[in-house]
Amino acid sequence: MIKAISRIFLLILIILSLGCSRGPTVYHQQLLVFGTLVDIKLWGVKQKKAEEAVAQLTKDFNYMDHAWHAWHAGPLTRANYFIANQEPFTAPPSILPLIKRGTELSTLSGGLFNPAIGNLMHLWGFESDDPPHGPPPDPRAIQTLVDQKPSMKDLTVDGITIKSSNPGVKMDFGGFAKGYAVDRAIDYLRQVGIQNAVVNAGGDLRAIGSHGDRPWRVGIRHPRKEGILAAVEAKADESIFTSGDYERYFDWKGKRYAHIIDPRTGYPAHGLTSVTVFANQGDLADAAATALFVAGPRVKDWLPIARAMGINGAMLVDSKGNVQMTPGIRDRIHFEVDPPPPVSISEALH
Amino acid sequence: MDTQSRSIPLISRGDGVVIGVAVALLLAVFITLWQPEGHGAEAVVYLNGNRWARLNLFQNQDIKVPGPLGISQLQVRDGKIRFVDSPCPTKLCVHAGWLSQGGESATCLPNHVSVQVLGDDPRFDTINF
Repeated sequence: MIKAISRIFLLILIILSLGCSRGPTVYHQQLLVFGTLVDIKLWGVKQKKAEEAVAQLTKDFNYMDHAWHAWHAGPLTRANYFIANQEPFTAPPSILPLIKRGTELSTLSGGLFNPAIGNLMHLWGFESDDPPHGPPPDPRAIQTLVDQKPSMKDLTVDGITIKSSNPGVKMDFGGFAKGYAVDRAIDYLRQVGIQNAVVNAGGDLRAIGSHGDRPWRVGIRHPRKEGILAAVEAKADESIFTSGDYERYFDWKGKRYAHIIDPRTGYPAHGLTSVTVFANQGDLADAAATALFVAGPRVKDWLPIARAMGINGAMLVDSKGNVQMTPGIRDRIHFEVDPPPPVSISEALH
Repeated sequence: MDTQSRSIPLISRGDGVVIGVAVALLLAVFITLWQPEGHGAEAVVYLNGNRWARLNLFQNQDIKVPGPLGISQLQVRDGKIRFVDSPCPTKLCVHAGWLSQGGESATCLPNHVSVQVLGDDPRFDTINF
């Protein structure tokens, strides 16, 4: 009798304790750096270790932000000064890898991603701490800068000495520095033994491992409405980058001028509102998101660029709200809007 | 028939009462602690990247967050939270609208204020915005 009662109590206790067990928790921290919000989540890491890792990442991000800032005085602005004055200079070690990687990525993109158009970014008012505003610049001033055809290929790197054959080159790493920084952050986390993490620098995201027994869940913002357009689960090591015309822009006389400039015309790229790229590395995903945004909504324009850059998938939203995507990701994208947008699937990337 | 089986029933009336109470307790605990999956009952407000407040979303209230540019106004209503106003030019935070799902977030970058809805099993771990 007593046995029976105690057995039942034991059973109830077990059920109750199962309900209470929570397992490893997520450590979450947000940083304000790179002019954006960096969201860091670590799974299954002890509080103290997580705090130490995030403290180091904060220092690293702040250092990179300073070193690569396009308009705050620092290593990059000094380099740009020498380029504009046609003087050879010794490259600061902090920016040398970005010059190399930026040149590679620009070449892969057929020049649509071009980190040498800093003068255009400045002219449009996107290199500023103040929000961009109209009116748009004088068309003749734009054309003058486009005619200079600034390209990373104009730079000659000899050891650590750099020379530019084109005074129109002004480096602006805004299109891939965040991706590069996210890659370095993931490298660091792995070095200290953290295998499950997601680092999201304002839509520039790389995830490693998982959230325990399930993948990391990513929401992709709707480019025009409140809330989430689509959800996707990240693979064990994957970069998912979203670029949109809603991030930095100004409206002038009913027209939107967004921060992604087409280097061929000197004007903001139009036709798309949001591009999400899936890739192995953050810097590649970042540059590719910019390049596809510039390529525009016609599949014959963007697909060759996506193929050349070696990304794993892409989802593009045009200004009418139509969605295009590569076949490899179609089963991974879950739309969170009702009804779901019209979707067309492109040819395979590979 | 032997007499033992009659004198020791499997469960006596007293046992029944105890089990009944235990089951009722279990139900009560379940109802109090269980939240619909993914729906966050709490949100965290960050200011300058630091945790500034943790809010129960079922406790309706209006909150003023003092950022570097001025006051960001938040509103909590029936399990949801939103930015009502913020001293920023684009009002992206206000346009984010109501947040209720675990993992949903909105940010006023210029004023260094952000809000994230918590959840045991959030719909999203992070948002690409």
